[in-house]
Amino acid sequence: MVHALSEARRALRAGGCLIDLRPTTRNRTVELELESATLFIGEIDSSSAIPDHVSANDALDAAQAAGEFCLEHTALFQYVSDLDTVEDLRVFQAGLRRSVMPETIFKRIEALTADETTSWLIRIRREMQVARYRRR
Amino acid sequence: MAIRGDTADEEKSYLRDMLAGDAGYVLEVGCGDGRLTRKYADAAARVLAIDLPATLPRSDADPLPDCVSLAAASGCHLPFPSQRFDQVIFALSL
Repeated sequence: MVHALSEARRALRAGGCLIDLRPTTRNRTVELELESATLFIGEIDSSSAIPDHVSANDALDAAQAAGEFCLEHTALFQYVSDLDTVEDLRVFQAGLRRSVMPETIFKRIEALTADETTSWLIRIRREMQVARYRRR
Repeated sequence: MAIRGDTADEEKSYLRDMLAGDAGYVLEVGCGDGRLTRKYADAAARVLAIDLPATLPRSDADPLPDCVSLAAASGCHLPFPSQRFDQVIFALSL
């Protein structure tokens, strides 16, 4: 992290901006969107990514303390993914690198959608943070 | 069957807000398949998107905008001159 920030600062012109976009440490949530209601199904465990998140924050704090960057703006938002089928959710699961999706999520969705007369979709929410730092 | 990401366009909206107007010459670190690059490239004069060789997008599949160049490089060792870029974006890579 420290090397990457140092290199970014070197590559930026004076007064340029560094934009940091990444997930927060909160777990993704899985919901089932029915015609009549939205049901919370479970969480995708992302706790293994917390150490990297903390290291990145520490590096940014150190860079600010050293007068290299100044935080100008930060925001949180939701990255929402919609999936049509349980097979899609399996594909999504296969693409997870460091997070774990419990099998109970699949079982709950399969049980709740066994009646195929109603339409539904699977919604995954991930909290993201974005911040802009000005190079000093 | 489909997986549709950023259905509310929030990522696109917030990223473009952060770029704030003319983004100039942008270096994107960790561009992956260019998913994020496509969301802001039209707000930049030029974009240089970098990632490790195995994860760079293929040029023949869903081409990136003309203002985008790709390079294989690590964010820890940027093979570029100093003070070259107006903005550096760490795309889920810090």
